[in-house]
Amino acid sequence: MLTIPLEIQILFAGILFLLGLIGVLVRRNIIFMLMSIEVMLNSAGLVFIIAGSHWKQPDGQVMFIFILAVAAVEVSIGLALILQVYHHYKTLDADAINKLKDTI
Amino acid sequence: MTITDFLCLSPFLIIAGAPIVIMILISILRNYAVVFGFSVLSLLIAFASIFFIVPAEPHSIKQLFIIDSYSLFFLGIIILSALLVTMLSYEYIKQLEGVREEYYIILFTSTLGASLLAVANHFILFFLGFETLSISLYILIAFQKTKDSSIEAGIKYLIMASVSSAFLLFGMALIYTAFGTMQFNEVGSAIHNQGQFSPLVITGFGMMMVGIGFKLALFPFHMWTPDIYQGAPAPVTAYIATVSKGALMAVLIRFFFNIKGFDNPYFFAVISVISIFSMTIGNLLAIRQQNLKRLLAYSSIANMGYLIIILLTGSNRGIQSAIFFLTAYFVTTIGAFGVISLLSTAKNEAEKIADYEGLFWERPWIAIVLTICLLSLAGIPVTAGFIAKFYIIFEGMKAGLLVLVFSMIINSVIGLYYYIRVITTLFANTGKTKLPLLSFTGNLTLALITLSILVLGIYPGWLINIIVKFVHL
Repeated sequence: MLTIPLEIQILFAGILFLLGLIGVLVRRNIIFMLMSIEVMLNSAGLVFIIAGSHWKQPDGQVMFIFILAVAAVEVSIGLALILQVYHHYKTLDADAINKLKDTI
Repeated sequence: MTITDFLCLSPFLIIAGAPIVIMILISILRNYAVVFGFSVLSLLIAFASIFFIVPAEPHSIKQLFIIDSYSLFFLGIIILSALLVTMLSYEYIKQLEGVREEYYIILFTSTLGASLLAVANHFILFFLGFETLSISLYILIAFQKTKDSSIEAGIKYLIMASVSSAFLLFGMALIYTAFGTMQFNEVGSAIHNQGQFSPLVITGFGMMMVGIGFKLALFPFHMWTPDIYQGAPAPVTAYIATVSKGALMAVLIRFFFNIKGFDNPYFFAVISVISIFSMTIGNLLAIRQQNLKRLLAYSSIANMGYLIIILLTGSNRGIQSAIFFLTAYFVTTIGAFGVISLLSTAKNEAEKIADYEGLFWERPWIAIVLTICLLSLAGIPVTAGFIAKFYIIFEGMKAGLLVLVFSMIINSVIGLYYYIRVITTLFANTGKTKLPLLSFTGNLTLALITLSILVLGIYPGWLINIIVKFVHL
């Protein structure tokens, strides 16, 4: 059976994380930003699973289940807030709702 | 699970059970005063239950929880600040439109997250506490649904806090990959055995620092602070500035001392740079603020910059001085934001410094409270802030952190300027204030806060004795 070295696995998860981060920074639509955050959280979960299988411990998978639960809560709150944002501003463009800033 | 385990978990069980009871209460009878009274009562019971745990400490439960004198003290100040915030919220939340009772449910869940952080000894509990705290805060910040700025602050905090928690999580995962353990003390001994750091570990700690630094609003992750502080309802701002930061500081100190970060030249350099930049940038940006909430936000960035100096002292005395600083900072900050929230109405948030012009001549009592809070933040003698800063400087000097201590002293002087600027506005001889009158609960809470600031400033010996005798990591 072919085993992929640990470094490559972590690198793969790292690339996923970077893709998510770039998504948050580049995308201006709040729903897409939320999706990119999901990618980041899941890439961290992937590293936990990789590490768990590397150390032959269940801890990594336990942590992944927690991450899934927390990410679900975060998205549900996020979508509720996005509804409110649309209600108030009639847009989901992150730049358009940036009203709070330093006024000197 | 033994009886001792249950006893040690009793504050958490009370804090976790209270929101469920409130939910049932709401479904039977929706009464604001009853829910408020019940919340205050359960926080008091949770606080009292800490004293029953004291004989059982130190006690650890299944790798996850560690109940020692250090975590009990933090638990105590977290619950007390949550109590003060609850009491200050009464008037503010009462005048909102729509549902209001749910505010207290969310306040309890966020307090649960914060208190879990104080006892965390494992990455899983660290992460769960961190997320319980942040997710509750998203709702609390956006609680004023009718206000644009509240919703904007909520969504901003949601995006940025989720990114920061993703960083924290990825960092934890890398450290777990490197050492095969998620317990703080085992990570510490693994580092001790290994001697030097692999790139994997350095990346891991760096990413964890992003997550923690964001929550503590340290440079360069401080950008969100003024926006969120301004947009959130004033009592929630008090909550973010104290409980959320204090709980993160508790877990950061425990983790940092477990891995003996102060012995490592990388950590030493990074923490020093973050500390110096946080205090300088916080103070410089505060100078020209016209908005009191934003001014206090920048001042909190500076205060956290002062506080992380003690991470580098690496001594028990350092931890004790940090705990005293946090206690004084909690009381003072809740006092300052408490004045703002008591003077705000549903339509008009009393956040512009101009709103406070000539307050002293019409409402001397509340102007004096705000003055004392600001003087304490500035670190003027006779207030708690002075003793707190004095101890940090003292411990910093003893550990030989001359550069850090020197920049802290310079920054305290810069800070004095903008606090005094607000105070002079209070005593200006112009303007008629349009701010509302105070309620009984508000007056009572402010009196308690003022009293404790002065007591901690004039006679701090008793608290220092308790901390020195009782609290050690």
